[in-house]
Amino acid sequence: MNPSQPTQPKGIIARLALLDLRHEWVLSLCMVLAIAAVLAPLLILLGLKHGTIQTMRDRLVEDPVNREIRPARTLQLSTQWFEDFKQRPDVEFLIPTILRGSSIVRLSKPGERKRLVIDLVPTAPSDPLILENEGVVPKKGECVLSYAAAEELGVKTGAVLTAEVTRTRKRRRESERTDLRVVAVLNPRADALERIYTPFAFVNDVEAYREGRAVPTRNWPGGKALPPLSYDGLWVLMLRSLSAIEETTLTIGTGLADIHSLNAAEFRQQLGFPLPDGYSAYQLLAKGSPILASSIKRVKNKLRGKSAILLPYAQAIEIKRMTGETLKVIGLSLSESQTSRLGLPKLPWGKFNAAADFTKQGQMLFPRTLAGQQSLTLSSKIMNGEIEFPVTQRGLSFGDYAIVPAELIGTLRTGQASKIVFDETQQTFLLAKAGYRGFRLYARSIDDIPTLYREFISQNMDVMTQVHEIEKVKVLDRGLTRIFWLVAIVGIVGGMAALIASLYASVERKKRDISVLRLMGLSRTQVFQFPIYQGITIAVISVVVAIGGYALLSSIINLVFAADLKMGQKICTLPYNYLIITFFVTAGMAALSSLLAAWKTTGIDPAEAIREE
Amino acid sequence: MLTIPLVLDLLNGLKRREQGGITFELHIPQLTLQKGQFVAVVGESGCGKSTLLDLLALVSRPTACSQFSYYDTQNAETLQPTDLKNLWDSESENALAALRRSRFGYVLQTGGLLPFLTVFQNLQLPSKLNGYHHDLQIKNLAKRFGVDGVLDKKPQYLSGGQRQRVAILRAINHQPNIILADEPTAAVDKTRALSIVKDFHTLAKENGTTIVMVTHDRELVAPFADVTYTFDVTEESETLTQSNCKLIDIISI
Repeated sequence: MNPSQPTQPKGIIARLALLDLRHEWVLSLCMVLAIAAVLAPLLILLGLKHGTIQTMRDRLVEDPVNREIRPARTLQLSTQWFEDFKQRPDVEFLIPTILRGSSIVRLSKPGERKRLVIDLVPTAPSDPLILENEGVVPKKGECVLSYAAAEELGVKTGAVLTAEVTRTRKRRRESERTDLRVVAVLNPRADALERIYTPFAFVNDVEAYREGRAVPTRNWPGGKALPPLSYDGLWVLMLRSLSAIEETTLTIGTGLADIHSLNAAEFRQQLGFPLPDGYSAYQLLAKGSPILASSIKRVKNKLRGKSAILLPYAQAIEIKRMTGETLKVIGLSLSESQTSRLGLPKLPWGKFNAAADFTKQGQMLFPRTLAGQQSLTLSSKIMNGEIEFPVTQRGLSFGDYAIVPAELIGTLRTGQASKIVFDETQQTFLLAKAGYRGFRLYARSIDDIPTLYREFISQNMDVMTQVHEIEKVKVLDRGLTRIFWLVAIVGIVGGMAALIASLYASVERKKRDISVLRLMGLSRTQVFQFPIYQGITIAVISVVVAIGGYALLSSIINLVFAADLKMGQKICTLPYNYLIITFFVTAGMAALSSLLAAWKTTGIDPAEAIREE
Repeated sequence: MLTIPLVLDLLNGLKRREQGGITFELHIPQLTLQKGQFVAVVGESGCGKSTLLDLLALVSRPTACSQFSYYDTQNAETLQPTDLKNLWDSESENALAALRRSRFGYVLQTGGLLPFLTVFQNLQLPSKLNGYHHDLQIKNLAKRFGVDGVLDKKPQYLSGGQRQRVAILRAINHQPNIILADEPTAAVDKTRALSIVKDFHTLAKENGTTIVMVTHDRELVAPFADVTYTFDVTEESETLTQSNCKLIDIISI
């Protein structure tokens, strides 16, 4: 015989448990309401906590000002620093800024005398301050005004303003004007100050103009940022030998550290032409930093009256033709009398002049091998790669090497330590912008601010952030979370105790029915499930009722606070996943709470069914 | 002479119960149940009727016995009887529960119906627990027993007689081999009691179900019982009462 052969339908115990709950629906309803009465206020509390913090966070997040980081003092930051920092995943936007003193413009409406002195701020595509404050990023010839600036000027989007940039150069006041069309006025929260936002190129041009330089693209006149000349040392030619004291004197206070005499062979090897008869040659060397024109002047002063000829030189200047062929070049700038004294042919560019521009520098006495060429494009290694520049033939070299003005060599030597460019428009070498004095950075999220703040501190940069405001919200969040959990634990323990007591009492009440079920052949394991199914069912219905209660109450709360909130903001809200978690946690807790009652059922003897009767 | 198959036999059974310092011992020298037998167990209160029923219902473990076997008459392929003694000794509670579920039917004094189920659901339950669907049979039987009009009602809305009839229906619905009825006539009037006993007798004879009916009313069951067991109770001491179960009447079937 195999009495267990027929298959018992699945879920029969659950069905019996549910039918029992339905039979005692009044008691079941009481249990449901008791648990819902614990859960609903907890959900409201959690909703209030979540909604309040979320609203505060939203306000912080929504306003890009809270994600902004600015330096607290003037910095010197390289382009590379900006490139590297932009790559960080927590950085949404980063743009260099210029010195405030250089970023002042005067704005006026056409035909009006009233001018507003205003701070100029660079912007670029994807600038959150602009885009998240009802603005559009300005293009060339356009600008965005802060609310305060627009109010002060009395202009709206679409207006055309005249921006006047002024400077004082050589004791003369100069100014330039340009028209800018207002493409947006920012939300007042973006900026409390009067500011104008323009593309970075315009700000850069304003800075250049205010610092006295010309801006050829705008036809703004001014000087050029010519690179200073620097050298590794000097060759000194004298009609007599220097005494040891005289030699030492030349290394004191001149920036030059060493001196030694050159014999004829060394002179020929280094300069490419023979040492003129009757002359002694010395090589003065700088150690460490290169020397500038001032050093040459100091040496010249020390050798005054001694008919000395000074030839500045740089050692590691490598000049190549575009074919890749290296050209041996010597820098030589001598006056006609000097060349005459040395017995050398006259140099077309004449004597050394530290202020000489490329008109002088771009000349060369070609080597004989290039006699047929009129001009050449050459390249030389500088700090960040190579620089290309043209030279014009002014004759053939009288020495072993091609000869260029010593000023060209000085410029190229400067290029090895500082960034220089060859400006095609102006046909001159210019000092490139060395770096930026500040920045405006927006973190991707307010949660990234503390990390970025620490990063700047580690780089010894004082920055201004809303990190403290953000931290306040976080502290509040932590505090409210603790309070919530404290209340929740008390509530959950109370709810569980109520459920345990109810289910246990229910088993006591149904002892006879359960013993009948045992008599009819239900195993201990099967009757064990009976209160568990009931507990879970009660919990599930309770959660549904509690969520319903929460939905109703939260709607009322949100309605009451609607006037203080923005569209879409809620003071009492919970994400759906919270409700799903609540559902499963409550079901789990209910299952746990029903274990005692379940254990009680396993002790009910089937014989009790007979005896109870 | 035709051999009537055995359904259950218990040899040298002893059940000892202690309560409040007083010991009660029920001795059962031999109890044999045959297929289709209507067995009456009669005796005064406290003689051990319910204790015997507990043993036969497989809900109480015998303190001792030399043999306690169940013979499955439904399954002819099964040659070996089920050794109930061994199941008790090995504490095979699930196997005993499975036997109770599939091969036994129970009728309790007031019916033992589950209050949270309707009459129909109560009648369905034993079949469902065994994986059968006997809904049509339930309705036919209900009609025969005159309870077809209360199938949708809950037990509390039935009269005592209706409740007992439903209980009998529930006990037979899954076609068990043995039906154990514990004073099923105690809560009904004499006419209804007679009707119930007749129903049991008919069931035993028509379906071959073995009926064990415990009652204190010997006269009620005497005309129908094939076998009657009763008890000799002796007060051995102030703390020990002994009861001997004995066969008093056999009618050849």
